[in-house]
Amino acid sequence: MERYDLIVAGAGPAGLSAAIEAAKRGLRVIVFDENEKPGGQLFKQIHKFFGSKEDKAKIRGFKIGKDLLEEANKCGVEVVLNAIVIGLYLDKEVTVKIGDGIQHFKGDTLIVATGASENMVTFDGWTLPGVIGAGAAQTMMNLHHLKPGNRILMLGSGNVGLVVSFQLMQAGCEVVALVDAAPKVGGYGVHASKIARCGVPFYLSHTIIKAEGEQFVNGVIIGEVDSSWEMISGTQKHFDVDTICLAVGLSPMSQLLKMAGCHMKDTPGGYIPECDEKGATSVPGIFVAGDVSGIEEASSAMIEGRISGIAAAEYLGFIDKEELKKSIEKQEKALISLREGMFAPENRGRSIKKTEEGIDVSINLLKKGYIEETEIERFPGFTKCKGVHPVIECTQNIPCNPCQEACVKKCIKIGEKITSLPAIDETKECIGCGMCVASCSGQAIFLVNEEYEQGYAAITLPYEFLPLPEVGSQGKALDRSGKEICAAKIIDVKTKKAFDYTHLITMKVPADMSRKARFFVNSRRCEDE
Amino acid sequence: MMRIDEHPILGKQEEKRVVEFTLDGQIIMGFEGEPIAAALKAAGVMIHRYTKKLHQPRGIFCAIGRCTDCVMVVDGKPNVRTCVTSLKAGMNVQTQFGVSAKTQTGEV
Repeated sequence: MERYDLIVAGAGPAGLSAAIEAAKRGLRVIVFDENEKPGGQLFKQIHKFFGSKEDKAKIRGFKIGKDLLEEANKCGVEVVLNAIVIGLYLDKEVTVKIGDGIQHFKGDTLIVATGASENMVTFDGWTLPGVIGAGAAQTMMNLHHLKPGNRILMLGSGNVGLVVSFQLMQAGCEVVALVDAAPKVGGYGVHASKIARCGVPFYLSHTIIKAEGEQFVNGVIIGEVDSSWEMISGTQKHFDVDTICLAVGLSPMSQLLKMAGCHMKDTPGGYIPECDEKGATSVPGIFVAGDVSGIEEASSAMIEGRISGIAAAEYLGFIDKEELKKSIEKQEKALISLREGMFAPENRGRSIKKTEEGIDVSINLLKKGYIEETEIERFPGFTKCKGVHPVIECTQNIPCNPCQEACVKKCIKIGEKITSLPAIDETKECIGCGMCVASCSGQAIFLVNEEYEQGYAAITLPYEFLPLPEVGSQGKALDRSGKEICAAKIIDVKTKKAFDYTHLITMKVPADMSRKARFFVNSRRCEDE
Repeated sequence: MMRIDEHPILGKQEEKRVVEFTLDGQIIMGFEGEPIAAALKAAGVMIHRYTKKLHQPRGIFCAIGRCTDCVMVVDGKPNVRTCVTSLKAGMNVQTQFGVSAKTQTGEV
C-alpha cells in the first residue's frame, strides 16, 4: 500500500487545480481518473468561457484544460489514468481499479472532485438508438470529430442545451428545434440568442411525447404542457429527426463521500456532502471541490479546487493558518463574484423582472430566445451614434467582463461590479477594431455603421461556422429570430490570431435594416432550403 | 458522412492510421485508437446490441462509459463498452444479443 500526502479523485478542472496548489506547497500528490484522458469535460468545451479576465474568461475550455495539465506536470503531480476510485474507507484508505487489478493507497488527505453525471428523462421510445445525452454529443463532435446526427432536436434550454446546440451547428448538424418543459429559457440569454438568430425555433412549455422509429430514431413528437405540466391535447408537433439530444441537468457524483462516512444532505440540486467554504467535509482531512458538492460550472470548479488544495496543505501543516488565509482570500473573492447576478445559486427558480440597473428584462428573450427590436433599445449597450460603433445586446446580469478590457479606446464600461450590464461611453471614439466583438463569449456584440454608404448600413458580426463567407459573397441577412429580412453583401472578413477562431464578417444591408440584421447566410444555403 | 473533415474551431483532424476491423464478419475501416463506437458511428452503424428479454435495440447513449448501453462482444468478450474501448486493427466486433453474440446458425 503506497502512501501519499494527498490523493485526488478526478482529473477535471477542480481536481487538477487542487492537485496543482497542493503540489506547489510541497505535498506529494497523486490524481486518479477513470478516463483515458485527463481534463474532465474541459476538452469538450470549445466555446469561450465567461467570467472575469483574471479567471480565464474568453479562453476556450480545451485551451484551459491544456494549460492546467501542463501546470500539473510542471508541479510534479502524478496523474494516473484509466484508474477508477472504487472505495474510500476509514483512515482515508483508497481502493483503485487499474486495469484488471485493484490497488490499495493511503492518503493523509483526500480531495474528491468526481464531478457530476447527466440526468435523463424518460418518454416513449427514449431507449432507441439515436436518443443521446448532450454530453455524448459533445464527446462525439469535439473529441472524436463525428457528427452525432444530421437533424437533431435538443431537449433542455439550460446553458448545456444552448451551448451544445450551437456546437452541433458548428459541427455541421441541423438543430430543428430547442424544446423545454419550463416556460422560460433556463440558460444565459446570449447563448439562446446566438442559436435563435441562426433560425433554431424555441419551444418553451413543450416536452417530448414520443421518439419515433422501430430500430432507431427517425422522428419525434413534442407537445405543449400547461402550468401544471399536463399535456395540452391537440398541441402535438412532429419533426423528422435522426437524433434527440437530452440536456436536462446534472447530478453530483457523491457516492464515494457517502461511502467515506461524510455527512450528506439532500438538496434540490442533488445529494451532496456537507462542507465548509474551504471544501472540508465532516470527516477531517477529506475535502471536496467542483460539481460533486453542487452543480456550477468549470470556472468556479477551478477556484474551488484551488481553495481545497491549499486547505489540504494547511491541514497537513505544510503551511500555517496565516498563509492559508492570505492564499485563499483572492480566490474566495473571485468565487463570490462568479456566484452573483441573475443566475446566482440563490436566484434559481426565481422569476426576475428587472436588471440590477432597474431595467425591465426582455420577456421575449425568455420565451423565444431572442430580444425584440422594441425591447433592445432600453439597454445601455444599445446606442446609435455617428460612424462605426459597438452595439452590445447583453441584457442580463451575468458575471462576465472581457469586453471592457478588450476595447483599447475604453468605449465599453462595466465598472467594478462584474455583473453590471456593459454600457457604451459615447464620448470615446470607436476605431472599429472588432476586439470587443471577438472577445464576447456570448457573441452579443456587433459593430454597426448606420451611414456606411448612401442608403446602406454596415454590420460586423462574430462568425464561427464553415465555410467562412468571402468578401463579395451575396446572401441574406437574418434578424434576431433567424428570419430572412433582406439581401446582404459581405464587404469585409477579418481573421486574426487575437480573435481566436472567431471571425468577424461585415455585411452591407439597406440602412433601415441596421437595427434588425444580426446574422448572414450565403445565397447557396438559401437555395438549399 | 458523419466525420467532420474541418471544424471551425478545432480545425482539421490530425492524421490517424486507418485500420480494418470486422462487425459481424463484415469488414469496416476506422481510425486506430478512436473508440470502437466512433468507428461504428462513422460507418453509419446505430445498433450495438439487443436487450435480453424484450430484444430492444440499443446504441450510443452517454458516450463516456457510464450507461453501458453501447456494449458489444469484442474479440469474443461480451459487455465491452465500445465508447471507451480503443479500436485496434483486426478487432472482431459483434452485435450483442442479451449477453452473447449470435452463433453462426443464428441462434442466441
